[in-house]
Amino acid sequence: MKEVLIIGSGIAGVSAAASCAERGMHVCLLSPFPSERSQSVMAAGGINAVLEDNNQGDSVESHIEDTLAGGCNIAGKQAVTGLCDSAEEIIRMLENAGMVFSRDKDGRIARRAFGGQSHDRTCYSGASTGKHIVSALVMKCRRYESEGLIDRRLWSDFHSGLIRDGVCYGALIYNEATRTLEPYYADAVIVATGGQNALFGKTTGSTQCDGYTAGKLFMQGAVLKNLEFIQYHPTTIETASKRMLISEAARGEGGRLYYEENGKRVYFMEEKYGPEGNLMTRDVAAREIYSAGRPVFLDVSHLEGGIIDSRLSEVRDVCSKYAGIDITREPIPVAPSVHFFMGGLAVHNNHETSIRDLYAVGECASIYHGANRLGGNSLLAAIYSGTVAAKAISERDEKHDTQDFSGYIEEENKKLISMMDSRSKFPVAYIEQMLAECMNSNLGIIRDEESLSKGITETDYLISVADRINYDSSVLPYFNYSIHGKLALGRACLACAKSRQESRGSQFRSDYPDMTDQFAYATLIYYDNGEYNVTLDRERQYES
Amino acid sequence: MKVKILRQMTPFSEPYWESFDYNGPEDTTVAGMLTYINYNDDIVNDKGESVGRIGWECSCLQGVCGGCAMVINERPALACNTFIRDLESDVIEIRPLRKFPTVSDLVVDRSRIFEGLRDSNIYAAADNPRANEDFEHRYLASKCLKCGLCLEVCPNYGSGEVFYGAAFANDCYLVYAADTSRTAEIKKEYDEHFGGYCSKSMSCMDVCPEGIPTLASMAKMNRARK
Repeated sequence: MKEVLIIGSGIAGVSAAASCAERGMHVCLLSPFPSERSQSVMAAGGINAVLEDNNQGDSVESHIEDTLAGGCNIAGKQAVTGLCDSAEEIIRMLENAGMVFSRDKDGRIARRAFGGQSHDRTCYSGASTGKHIVSALVMKCRRYESEGLIDRRLWSDFHSGLIRDGVCYGALIYNEATRTLEPYYADAVIVATGGQNALFGKTTGSTQCDGYTAGKLFMQGAVLKNLEFIQYHPTTIETASKRMLISEAARGEGGRLYYEENGKRVYFMEEKYGPEGNLMTRDVAAREIYSAGRPVFLDVSHLEGGIIDSRLSEVRDVCSKYAGIDITREPIPVAPSVHFFMGGLAVHNNHETSIRDLYAVGECASIYHGANRLGGNSLLAAIYSGTVAAKAISERDEKHDTQDFSGYIEEENKKLISMMDSRSKFPVAYIEQMLAECMNSNLGIIRDEESLSKGITETDYLISVADRINYDSSVLPYFNYSIHGKLALGRACLACAKSRQESRGSQFRSDYPDMTDQFAYATLIYYDNGEYNVTLDRERQYES
Repeated sequence: MKVKILRQMTPFSEPYWESFDYNGPEDTTVAGMLTYINYNDDIVNDKGESVGRIGWECSCLQGVCGGCAMVINERPALACNTFIRDLESDVIEIRPLRKFPTVSDLVVDRSRIFEGLRDSNIYAAADNPRANEDFEHRYLASKCLKCGLCLEVCPNYGSGEVFYGAAFANDCYLVYAADTSRTAEIKKEYDEHFGGYCSKSMSCMDVCPEGIPTLASMAKMNRARK
């Protein structure tokens, strides 16, 4: 029986786990915490699918076209076709697992449109679709856990890949219970660790998504892709602990963006883009709100009370609880915030990375979304990518030879022990905070050569500092050893953004405001002993 | 403001109370307060002694993941949606959930919630929903965070070896509603690990951060027929 190690148990991880088990493989599903704590539960909006009973003339072809156009035509058509083709089957699979979808008056799965979509095709479950998908897939995995095909391993953190000569043999895991590093050997490793929100400090995401796994694998030879494409969610509100997302559903249901000028409301999106202006794609809306240069508000108070209670109840509750705003009477002060990463580990259409037997799924993989992602496509991609990776692994005939990693493991354990022996008044948290400030100020919604060069200089300095500090032994060792991978990933994001001398999708360069044919390809970045080498994927080696 | 925390270095060491003087922002949550105390060069207790950082678990920081469940001023709650201003007290006393083994400080191991569901096969095997089954009820039951607050407050939940508590009852209802083919099996597990032990104090519903109508789940499970 093939052995698969899956790192991360959010939607992409549990989708991959269930699919591997269905195909008769044994899975170790590893994460520090259960799936219920993953960032996936925070996904609000919905999941895109053209269903058989659509009555608006929608088609899978339209879904493919919208996805490719939203991504500014650098995503692979074949990959996107596979994604959109499978969407209806995925919705049926979720229903089979017990997923509760919202229904329309005729009892069919209800659908709405998000920005950049030609038709209403976003299926949803109230305003907490991600949570309901997690609940359904956890239940599906539970069946295979009962049968012994999936073993969950909690309190475990990724340390590094067991990689030799371009092949992955497993991973080195920090066991929080035994406080040691332990190897886990597998025929294939699937990384499902989400995006890299924590590089930016306060965002809409989970504190668990820090990008370390992708950053470490990058330092171990994995190619990363499209890191410059970072989606800002246009509508978030500031609260004491974090930025909180106001679902795109608020605009989808008829919410209007405005600012005030001379005591009058200016509905700037509608003035510039017409009656449907509030539904412009996230990158356009985020840039327009940022460029307004003054407080911007989202008003849903004109919507019928029933709509707010039935379809925007989570928005209503978040605003009321964390900001003291009654959205049935008051506008919501909104600003853009880092929300989703189109970039990540470069993967082929079968989700294998540049390292053999190492796969990446969900947000940590860069595929399908091109330069910008449509709302409703990330939940679809998270589930779909898990099934694709499982299929690819099951169809591969060869099994691994064995390799001796004992020397590497001993060396890394020694480093860990010396880290835990130290005591420092300069916690890693400070370096993380400095990295977040650097990323926010230099890799923001609008960038230029000067800001990106400054960011690179600053991250180079932080990398040099991180090599010399003592560690704080009173925190989990993961928080200490992970700093290097996070810094390398931050540095790589800046290098990709600097290298792309054009504006495309979510990347807007004030010094290169136009989109050019010369850059109509994905960006690839390689790490070589402290060097960051950037190229364009002109041959479409990865996604095609 | 004084913050008293029941601390514990490792799963096997003795717990002890430690107090901190908190001078940070008051318009924040208990989660924000813990972050503030930890984010310092060195953290010191109210005696001026340098101590280790406070261990606690979080992920979403907005009340939808259940990670930061703990007991705050004797009430089980999520730290990220408990506001200091609402506590109306100069002393905030925080302890880990008592019904689960402590890992360190405020971090507990809630694995037994998941193990109970796994070992009793609570899953839907097919989309075979019961006619007229209430969407709103299923929607709410499916939002269970598995945070353990309902078990902390439950007078009947102890070691979790036989009686699995409200989180289990709601998942039983979800499977019952979604898949008529497994009614008999699910009903048997429900009776064995819930129905026969619950004394119906319903304190679980008072603390549930998602407002799950466990009583309604129980009513449907008690009437369950194939």
